[in-house]
Amino acid sequence: MSDQVTLTIDGKTVTVPKGTLIVEAAKQIEQEIPVFCYHGKLSQVGMCRMCLVEVGTPMFDRATREPVLDENGVQKIGFFPKPMTACTTPVSEGMVVKVDSGAALDDRKAVLEFLLTSHPLDCPVCDKGGECPLQDLTMKHGSGISRFNYEEKQHFPKKYPLGDLIVLDMERCVICTRCIRFQSEIAHDPVLAIENRGRHAHIVSYSDPPFDSHYSGNATDVCPVGALTTKDFRFGARSWEMKNVPSICNHCGVGCNTVLGTRKGGSGTGQLKRVMPRQNETVNELWICDKGRFGHHFNESPNRLTTPLIRQDGQLVESTWADVLPFIGEKISSIKSANGSTALGGIAGARLSNEDLYLFQKLFRQIIGSNNIDHRVGLNANFEDTTAYTVGVGVGTDLSQVGKGSTILVIGSDLDQEAPILYIRVAGASVKRSAHVINIGGRRTKLDAQAQTSAYYQYGTASYLVLGILASVVAQGLVNQEWIDRHATGFSEITKLLQDFAPDSVADTTGVSSAEIEAIAKSYAEAENGIIIFGHEAGNDPALGAAIEALAAVTGHAGKPNNGVIAVLPHANSRGAADMGVVPNRLLGYLPLEGEAGLSAEQMLSGNSIKGMIIAGADPASESDTYRECLQNLDFLVVQDLFLTETAQLADVVLPAKAVAERDGTFTNLERRVQTFDVGIDSPLLAWSDWLILAAIAGQLGADWGYASADGVMAEITQEVPLYQNMAFENLVAPVSLDRQTDHYIYEGMSFTADVHEGIQWATVAENEQQKITLQLVVPENHTGSDEITLVTPRILYDGGRLLAETDVVQSHVFQTRALLSSVDAKKLGLNNGDSVTISQNGTAVNLPIQISRMLNEGTILIPRNIEGRPAERLVGSSDVHASVKVKKS
Amino acid sequence: MSKVLDRHLIFRHRDIENIQNIDTYIKDDGYSALKKALKEMKPVDVTNEVKSAGLRGRGGAGFPAGVKWSFIPKDIFPKYVVVNADESEPGTFKDREIMEKNPHLLLEGIALCAYAVGASASYIYGRGEFLSTFRPLQQAIDDAYKHGFLGENILGSGFSLDIRLHLGAGAYICGEETALLNSLEGLMGQPRNRPPFPAVAGLYAKPTVINNVETLSGVPYIILNGIDAYRKYGTDRSPGTKIFSLSGRVNRPGNYELPLGTPLRHLVEECGGGVIDGKQVKGILPSGAASSIMGGDKLDTHLDYESMVEAGSMLGSGSVIILDETINGVWAAKKNIDFFRHESCGKCSPCREGTHWLKSVYTKIVDGHGTKQDVDMLGTIIGQMEGNCFCPLGEFVVPGVRTSLGLYMDEYLEMVAGNEEASQPQKDLIHTFF
Repeated sequence: MSDQVTLTIDGKTVTVPKGTLIVEAAKQIEQEIPVFCYHGKLSQVGMCRMCLVEVGTPMFDRATREPVLDENGVQKIGFFPKPMTACTTPVSEGMVVKVDSGAALDDRKAVLEFLLTSHPLDCPVCDKGGECPLQDLTMKHGSGISRFNYEEKQHFPKKYPLGDLIVLDMERCVICTRCIRFQSEIAHDPVLAIENRGRHAHIVSYSDPPFDSHYSGNATDVCPVGALTTKDFRFGARSWEMKNVPSICNHCGVGCNTVLGTRKGGSGTGQLKRVMPRQNETVNELWICDKGRFGHHFNESPNRLTTPLIRQDGQLVESTWADVLPFIGEKISSIKSANGSTALGGIAGARLSNEDLYLFQKLFRQIIGSNNIDHRVGLNANFEDTTAYTVGVGVGTDLSQVGKGSTILVIGSDLDQEAPILYIRVAGASVKRSAHVINIGGRRTKLDAQAQTSAYYQYGTASYLVLGILASVVAQGLVNQEWIDRHATGFSEITKLLQDFAPDSVADTTGVSSAEIEAIAKSYAEAENGIIIFGHEAGNDPALGAAIEALAAVTGHAGKPNNGVIAVLPHANSRGAADMGVVPNRLLGYLPLEGEAGLSAEQMLSGNSIKGMIIAGADPASESDTYRECLQNLDFLVVQDLFLTETAQLADVVLPAKAVAERDGTFTNLERRVQTFDVGIDSPLLAWSDWLILAAIAGQLGADWGYASADGVMAEITQEVPLYQNMAFENLVAPVSLDRQTDHYIYEGMSFTADVHEGIQWATVAENEQQKITLQLVVPENHTGSDEITLVTPRILYDGGRLLAETDVVQSHVFQTRALLSSVDAKKLGLNNGDSVTISQNGTAVNLPIQISRMLNEGTILIPRNIEGRPAERLVGSSDVHASVKVKKS
Repeated sequence: MSKVLDRHLIFRHRDIENIQNIDTYIKDDGYSALKKALKEMKPVDVTNEVKSAGLRGRGGAGFPAGVKWSFIPKDIFPKYVVVNADESEPGTFKDREIMEKNPHLLLEGIALCAYAVGASASYIYGRGEFLSTFRPLQQAIDDAYKHGFLGENILGSGFSLDIRLHLGAGAYICGEETALLNSLEGLMGQPRNRPPFPAVAGLYAKPTVINNVETLSGVPYIILNGIDAYRKYGTDRSPGTKIFSLSGRVNRPGNYELPLGTPLRHLVEECGGGVIDGKQVKGILPSGAASSIMGGDKLDTHLDYESMVEAGSMLGSGSVIILDETINGVWAAKKNIDFFRHESCGKCSPCREGTHWLKSVYTKIVDGHGTKQDVDMLGTIIGQMEGNCFCPLGEFVVPGVRTSLGLYMDEYLEMVAGNEEASQPQKDLIHTFF
């Protein structure tokens, strides 16, 4: 039987895959069937009854199974006596659908009138007005008069806080349950429900705190009426006043596509009113997390740097570019001539764009002549990844397509906290599409609820575990020899080493039984597609990276779509920073450095050989007292940033940079997809893009670069970095329409059509027939079990980061400095929630209140990184993830 | 009271005292049908026997029970038998009497059904108000376990069955089979999309038979006495007996077990002793609030599935409510609407909003503020609901209002007489501006 079905909708013939719903088939011929409860990403419920259509099927004689013909010899169509919901009825061969027939139009008018009986019709003050399916469909299909007795309208509270970010106006709700289904089916936070029945039914949140989810803002997007609004955008602007600018979220490495809704204010400058997701099925589908949605206020913060500052008599005072730039040039030149170029170093944060980072390394390597550059500070300090270069996920990988027959191995990452949209995609692959998701970590995480398999290792033994899996793959004869022969060398050497890491031998060390290890190995190796996602909680361990690379290679899970490795890097452009060679020991595009490597960030900031530094978009002073002291002792420090950070306060010259919404550029996401962002709003008058600042400094040092724009810099990158040869701006921007499209917000819940696969991934070694991967294993350091409590320091979503601090609405979500402890340990130590403990390690001690957490195993205490006071960094250091600590009641 | 039946098939407790006691029940050939089936019949024979006997669902829809059982796939496990004891149609009180007075008959029926379809677990889902009914029923279940009619390896046959009672929270919608399943699973009591049908993916997405209490209680007689004995009662297409819950303005309201095809007049006049004070029958609601109202002239209609449809109504669950001249037709229709407004689950817009709107208009009319426009509006509102609701319960609203408008229009007009029609401009605002 054919997999295609041909049917007729309002006289037009359309052929679609079997199982397609009528509403989707109609979309293909641009016949709009109005919907409220239907949403392409959610389960079908058929409850709003808006999509009623007349449906007929070809008639067959019951007895003979012969077609029933009319007088013209054409097969008769038997119409169902009742209208059918187009959103739940799949197409069938020869089906005839009437969408615009009199009966169907009457039904639509009828249902709309019902929905409007208790609707407040407050469109003029409703945030959804102008992009509201109910409003538009009423204009199109509704009655112009109201017959319902106005006095009898139902009343509910007009602004009920469903959570502290989302406001519910129940009077506007049409009970389509899209929000409830989004929360249970996509976000996997089933915190919303209907309470009561009939006309008393209303939406409630059962969680404590209410609407406890990182994805709550999406519920306002899918809401087809103005019932759910965000506290942030409520009464902020009318949808038609805003100009919509394509951008990329700068808060984590996922690279969600966003739309900046900007409006010209009274002063003539643009204002950023809201951030919404922009559809990109290969990156973020239709979603963004709440941090990305609400965390944009840093752009327009009154605390921004607006003018260059220079230190005079110990104080930073306002200055001008014309004064500070020559001064910077002089100081750098003098340090270079007095102490040599290796006395100069630079740190660039991984939030800078590829263009900034490219010029940063060019300034140091070509103009100053120093390899002392690094991006590994802050959240990036303990995590750099090179597996992406060899075995990163194949070009064309789309997690929204990964399903049955695929295995996703998640190692050492709490995705819901570190990369929320990656979490919902992995969870969706498991729950919706039956991929085998294996969640391996040192503690329980939210993904355990969706993963079919979970395993827990002792912190510090992740590399042993992966080596055990690899050894088991080899022992079970599951290697892909053909792939290895074509793409890799060194397989026989590593098999020798693996003999020491058989599942039996690593079981004790890791705490994962050999049977579990063997099952994981089998599932991963035998899967049609295999993806490994690993995060920093697995440890900053070269042995782990090497083992993961080898595991992907020997199973042949690399070099093709939906196969390979994803490192859950922390920042928007952590991948780009590695690509651009902003590391002391490697050049652009992962090319080896000839000659001596430079100093790492940690070396620069803890020794005394560095005399002058440029720090762009990074704040090392805040994370360590040693770093601060070192920065204080520098002869000369230039900081370029958005805010007067702790590091900037130590600087001799502070330069105001433009924020992401004020400039253009590219970020490379954790799947190596290079994506552009555009200028949305005006910057403070004297702020410059980082790349321009760097070019100006280079100019003072005698260079004549002459870049006029970010795409000019990218044009040079395409010449210099083979991996980026296709990344010219004109290639990166697919034709995206940000014009409002009615049908798109009716079906998808947002105004903008953009079913695009924007951005370009660069190809890995595994995809390059000319290159081979050299398999090498690193023997992990000896793991000695400890009787002490292990402190783990994961990344979290709502941390104490400088950018998030500027968004008032999420401040109650920001992690209050405390430590999480398992109930077993709390009992042992005689502790209750809120008691204060002293946590000490190697002479450093911090006092924190504790919270008892059921998510932690015995012997584990958890303090997130990058929170107020930086207790985690002080205890484990910048570059480590966990440490043995002593905990006692204080 | 006339005795049409020489012997009650289901209301055996009216013939034999104390039949809720398991020993009395066994003495009266109780559990003999189960013994017979387990010893002599293959599961498929039981299904075929029920199919041939023509037993039809007594919950309202009248779907042949044996046919329903035969839809259950053979190769998917586990399977479930779910008993719909959510008896909540206004005017229905028959299942309750069975469960309280003759519980073992139901249990035996469940066991036979479970044996026929290969289920080893069964749930009886009762409405929240059935606490006092479920206590004796639980006692009966415990007794049946003790006597080996339930539990592991029943009567040494290798067939096992567990029966569990579950009380809902009291919702009309949970009598709809898929809403019942949702409620049983702990979800909100709202109907599911069909397909898939419960026979394919019902409780916990496994094949499930859902039958009414009375339907299953009819099975033991068929198995024990055979098809012909059963078909002696009733008509060819509606064989067997049916319990009618008679209420309203009659002298002797109550449950009456009658062969299908008995004239309505017999039920009202012989069984019910006629209308109170000898008044005329003004209207008949033959299946509770969901009925099309029949005029008093329809008393000679025969009580079987086909005749009732021909007469413009339906047999439903057999809850016959009699209205006499003292009852205002508009008031009676409003009572029904109040019920539906209260019980609408709120899943689909036409029922949720339509019942709310109808109640609003009816209240206005009954309170004496209605206009002729309002009466006309009732007709258009039900027109807008008809065929557009998610489940049958929304559709049930329509016939009552429609037939009451047809039968009692003069009373409607009387109520709104003298009230000014609204004079606001009926301007189509949207189409004026655009």
